[in-house]
Amino acid sequence: MKSLDPRVNRLPLIGQPGEILPKVPLDQFGTFEVFVQPKEGKPFQHEGIVHAPDLEMSFILAKEAFTRRFTCVSLYVCDTRSVYVSPMTDGTNNAYDFIVDNVEQKNEKTSYEIYHLLKRGKQHTHVGTVQAGSPQEAMTQAKKAFKNDKIVYNIWAIKTSDIRFTSPEEKDLWLTLPEKKFRDASDYKGGDKLKAFLEKSNA
Amino acid sequence: MNEIALKELLYKIADDQLILGHRNSEWTGFGPLLEEDIAFSSMAQDKIGQSYALYQMLQSLGEREPDTVAFTRNASQFHNCILVELPNGEYDFSLVRHFLYDTAEAIRFEMLSESSYQPLADISKKIRAELRYHTLHANTWMKQLGSATEESISRLQNSLNLAMPYALGMFEESPDEKELISSKLFGGEQALKERWMKKVEEVVKQTNLSLPDWKTLQPVFGGRVGKHSEHLQPLLDEMSEVFKIDPAAEW
Repeated sequence: MKSLDPRVNRLPLIGQPGEILPKVPLDQFGTFEVFVQPKEGKPFQHEGIVHAPDLEMSFILAKEAFTRRFTCVSLYVCDTRSVYVSPMTDGTNNAYDFIVDNVEQKNEKTSYEIYHLLKRGKQHTHVGTVQAGSPQEAMTQAKKAFKNDKIVYNIWAIKTSDIRFTSPEEKDLWLTLPEKKFRDASDYKGGDKLKAFLEKSNA
Repeated sequence: MNEIALKELLYKIADDQLILGHRNSEWTGFGPLLEEDIAFSSMAQDKIGQSYALYQMLQSLGEREPDTVAFTRNASQFHNCILVELPNGEYDFSLVRHFLYDTAEAIRFEMLSESSYQPLADISKKIRAELRYHTLHANTWMKQLGSATEESISRLQNSLNLAMPYALGMFEESPDEKELISSKLFGGEQALKERWMKKVEEVVKQTNLSLPDWKTLQPVFGGRVGKHSEHLQPLLDEMSEVFKIDPAAEW
């Protein structure tokens, strides 16, 4: 009988002798940035990226990729290309020192979300919203609004309308069965079981 | 309260969740993209978690413990509908089944959140919230692939045509259906089916897919009374492999 198990049917096909072919490029979707709010009242923080065919699917896929095990009350996503990034500093300078104080003011203003990176290797965290006519102007407005003594390594600005937020009706996506220890790798105590097994077999 | 009717109701729901949870978990490591693999596996795990909660409820009603119930019965003792035991096939079939099944499941638990059996009503409220993501995931994929390319549309359409008679088999009535309804344990398969048809139509309308004429479809019944396809027993054998080697094993 032909196996019904996809794992068996999807093994790579065995090639023909003499076949030398160029490596096929990866067929991949674009990337989207994922921001998570760990608790009510806490700011959103950048959690990572997902590949997805579009913004809506990236929201769906981000939910399980990033909030499967940890507490989360809300998340949002945007296309990677919607994120505007300031120069990165080495920590001796404030990233805001690389932002000009005057930029061309545009009449049409829209809101931008601003994020700070306060430590290398940490996540960008949301600090607030500014009104601006361009990403450059958003950075300048952010400098006025959010610059203080703290060194900021890097600043991000994202147009609010480019973000796919969690709607109020979707908030209950995170109200799940409470007893979900089976989702925590640590709960399986794999190390302890292996140790016990090795001791038993060595005895 | 008719305890036999209640148990039969709990068994069929728990068995559906367990079998589909296991079936969907076969995609783990083989999903069409990493993120989807994670999402689909995670929902499979949710289903198994939900079946566990229901088997625990059955245990409180005097049935054997969840592991024994899940791993030691033969195919003919399972009450799941045939839809959930069918092999995964290509991803389009798994996705269509996920859509048809989870749409019904979400409505079922919504109805059960008003059950006269309080423990069932309570757990249904929690499961219902968990299923919000499942249906959002299913509906979004259906809408996207159902109106994307010629290939995606025809694949989904073929799977939809194939799955539909089995999907109608989800609503096979219980032997004590009237009693379940009159005692307000559950609003009944017929009511569920009508709401399900509306919801399925609503989503499919937003795509280039078409639904087969409901009237010409012949539902595939039998699963609820233990008459299964040849696909269930091999699934059970694989699922219970570890348990059968060492019933006392912890994992």
